[in-house]
Amino acid sequence: MTDLVEAGAPLRRDGRWDVPIEADRIRGVLPHRWPFLYLDRITELQPGRSGVGIKNVTVSEPHFAGHFPHSSIMPGVLLIESMAQLAGVVMASAEEVAATGKTYLAAVHRMSFRVPARPGDQLILSAVAGTRRGHLVDFQVAARVSGRPIADGRLVVAA
Amino acid sequence: MPTYQQTLDRATERLGRCRKVKAMIVERLDLPIDPDWITNDQPLIGRGLELDSVDTLELMIGIEADFGVALTDDEVSAFGSVSRLIDRIESDGPLDPPILPPAES
Repeated sequence: MTDLVEAGAPLRRDGRWDVPIEADRIRGVLPHRWPFLYLDRITELQPGRSGVGIKNVTVSEPHFAGHFPHSSIMPGVLLIESMAQLAGVVMASAEEVAATGKTYLAAVHRMSFRVPARPGDQLILSAVAGTRRGHLVDFQVAARVSGRPIADGRLVVAA
Repeated sequence: MPTYQQTLDRATERLGRCRKVKAMIVERLDLPIDPDWITNDQPLIGRGLELDSVDTLELMIGIEADFGVALTDDEVSAFGSVSRLIDRIESDGPLDPPILPPAES
């Protein structure tokens, strides 16, 4: 939360989560840092229930050096990571989790990768919370580019 | 009192539900076993099928999708066995009956 306070941009205003939440403020919610923060902005947020975020894919990201040298494709596991980070923010924004803010990816179910994501693509990520059991929450997640499905599936996030 | 035929019909229906639940467990959790290997009273969590909390969340989703019954977070006892799950599905109400005061004599 230190970065956030220094930046003078509170995550919540008048007790409400204020969107859009830019990358600098996302670092106040998630512990991830370069080169492993795969969420650029959050445009919609219903605390504990759902969220929409943006991940801009750029050729400067280090994994493109090897994936692949002559054909830049964002690794599927990093697409999952992007969606998991959004789900993590949705969870962390829930009142009962906000105190610790720590969330972990617990399971990946039925994930499909439909079209490769390449540098220049703007991923629109979505995460909608479903069934809960104790500290576990099931999320329906998706990534789209210009409305076209790139990846979708389910993630279980633990608080 | 139900007739013999009604009792037989109910038992057949319950057997069918048991088979459906076992098939759902194996399919949802991708277990490398035949559904018929799961017995009706075998513990599902811990010793027995050795399901963990992520597995039971997956089964909650499966039960809602396949049987239209939404289990709540405090109904962990429903995962005691296939029989307990069927009891809960058939009742579609609180699993544990409320504790009633003793009847007045």
